[in-house]
Amino acid sequence: MTPTTPAAAPPGPSRAGDIWREVTHHGLFWPVLALVLLLLACGIASPGFLDVTVRDGHLFGQLVDLLRNSATPLLLALGMCLVIATGGIDLSVGAVMAIGLAVSLTYLDNAADPSNIGTVLTAVLLGLAVGALGGAFNGAMVAGLGIQPFIATMILMVAGRGIAMLITQGQITTVTSPPFKTIGSGFVLGIPTPVVIAVVAFVVVAFVVRRTALGMFLESIGINREASRLAGVRSRQTTWTVYVIAGLLAALAGLVYGAPTMAADANNIGLMKELDAIMVVVLGGTKLDGGRFYLGGLLVGAMLLSSLERAVIIFQLPSQTTPLFKALVLIVVCVVASPTLRSMLRGRRRADRAQTPASPVEPADAVGVTA
Amino acid sequence: MTTDELVRTQGTPDTVVHRARRALRGLDRRFLPVLGTVLTLALMLGMGQQRYSTERVDFISMKLLSNLLVDNSYLLVLAVGMTFVILTGGIDLSVGAVVALVGLSIAEMFGAGLPLPVVLVVGVLIGTSCGLLIGVMVQVFDIQPFIASLAVMFLARGLANVISVNSLKIDHPGFSELAAWSLKFGEGRQLWRINASMLVALAVLAIAFLVLHFTRFGRSVYGLGAGDGGAAVNLMGLRPARTRVWVYVISGTCAGIAGVLFALYTKSGFNLTGIGMELDAIAAVVIGGTLLSGGVGFVLGTGAGVLVYGLIQVLIAREGLDSWWTRVFIGVVLLAFVILQRVLAVRRR
Repeated sequence: MTPTTPAAAPPGPSRAGDIWREVTHHGLFWPVLALVLLLLACGIASPGFLDVTVRDGHLFGQLVDLLRNSATPLLLALGMCLVIATGGIDLSVGAVMAIGLAVSLTYLDNAADPSNIGTVLTAVLLGLAVGALGGAFNGAMVAGLGIQPFIATMILMVAGRGIAMLITQGQITTVTSPPFKTIGSGFVLGIPTPVVIAVVAFVVVAFVVRRTALGMFLESIGINREASRLAGVRSRQTTWTVYVIAGLLAALAGLVYGAPTMAADANNIGLMKELDAIMVVVLGGTKLDGGRFYLGGLLVGAMLLSSLERAVIIFQLPSQTTPLFKALVLIVVCVVASPTLRSMLRGRRRADRAQTPASPVEPADAVGVTA
Repeated sequence: MTTDELVRTQGTPDTVVHRARRALRGLDRRFLPVLGTVLTLALMLGMGQQRYSTERVDFISMKLLSNLLVDNSYLLVLAVGMTFVILTGGIDLSVGAVVALVGLSIAEMFGAGLPLPVVLVVGVLIGTSCGLLIGVMVQVFDIQPFIASLAVMFLARGLANVISVNSLKIDHPGFSELAAWSLKFGEGRQLWRINASMLVALAVLAIAFLVLHFTRFGRSVYGLGAGDGGAAVNLMGLRPARTRVWVYVISGTCAGIAGVLFALYTKSGFNLTGIGMELDAIAAVVIGGTLLSGGVGFVLGTGAGVLVYGLIQVLIAREGLDSWWTRVFIGVVLLAFVILQRVLAVRRR
């Protein structure tokens, strides 16, 4: 489901060229193309890649694994996207992942019966509550004190990992609790639990944002906070809510990510995941300036990220080279989608047609485009 | 004779008084965040002096200062470069990964038998080219600095991983000599020293100070941070586009220098070096009183910020706390500074 179409339909007769331009100008055209090409390439390199089999009533296959791996970045990116829509950024999601998981597992570790469903539920709720608390802290800094989001959330990013270490006493807490493990490695109706959790979260957020006025408020805050406040949008409360949601989703992502191993490694869980989440949001066609946001793009972005990670393994490249390919995809998608390149190309084409000396639209005039 | 000179010749005593008064009033506005940094530094030093001094050795000593500079020289260089970028309202997330890439490249180049000067220069130039890449993406393709530098961070980290995932030892004799070189002062417990990386870091700081406060380029950097996309700078006849690319080149070059210094410090290259180092640098800049929104701040404040950063680690080690407390304390100090800046900003309005 794509809640909105980024590119508005141009007025006038719809010729094939216009349709083509509309498609290629759609914010998701390049990411989707990249994803499809990547999946096809994987399918060619490893023949069984695109097969999905049913075993014991559960879906199995590389594609299913891919979906499972997309769950964590999708959950993080969901919160991140809303925060970015308000013109902010949340750098603390990785640290919040670690804190949430540390709290949950420490509670389970100290509980009398870690396999008890009630205990597991309490542990999960505790983890989520701590995540929401972290989000509330961020929100208080950004909406209450008016501190720049980058620096406000950086505080929790720096301190959060230390806090998680304090919770686990600097050790890697490991617990055995089958019900908890199900969160990360189980199946619901044959579909991996993380996928179900991520899809449910996505649908809920999409519904709340697009079927209530919240989404419009977010966009108006992201475009001009002061103007939307004057127009009657409760910008403080809304911004605060968004950070709490982001914290909550980050903690959920932490639980989903850490549940299969059941080990709270406060130093490494969620390390650099905030940057992955931001990358997913950007690949999904949302600009970091705030204002417009596309939830549907997150699905593509998350899939692109995890299939990139998988493709590196399939092509038998060392897995440490993954960042290199992330960088290439990020650069290519950003540059191709940048209006500058488009106007450069368009200018050249027009110049060719007119057979006059090329006078393309200046890529970046001396005034300098806003960063 | 310019008008400036005319004014000066007409009423010298008046202007001196005026200037002093103006300076005091100026202190109110721009120097307060830095004053906060200096006060924090003094407070921490005082606390250290009180708690850890013995009859024979003072906590505050040349030895402490020299150790702080030796241990944090690479961070100082990184933070100085970051100050340029942040003053224009941008950000550079790539520096930590660049440090790792430069360290590994140096190790690899020594392995290939290249001479010392070539290796050092190429090491720094690797950083410069990373910075140039970010600058071009930001200026020409209008990509947000955050994303552009994130891409280069992934790029540098990936390249570092391609070179090696193991720690590479650097045992080039000339390099080791450079790392070991130091001037010793005092003796016994009072012994302190000056080494090469310290000198490089202080030189970078001094050059940055001169460039930012006494050149056209420096004014452009401050002007770009005014938040109008460089329009004012352009009207003043300065060159915003060129400046914006240059600040990233400077930051990248500083990252290259920091990579060399870090290699000198550890005598090895490792691909996991510098994860989170960019945030250490940003934190030091913010603690040093530079506003992340750009346009306000001093590079000497950044120097003080790095000292505060290093001193937190020293105090925590002396207190016998576990190392993860460091991160919590840095978060708390960061929080205090951000709130201080906010209070000052509100009062200014």
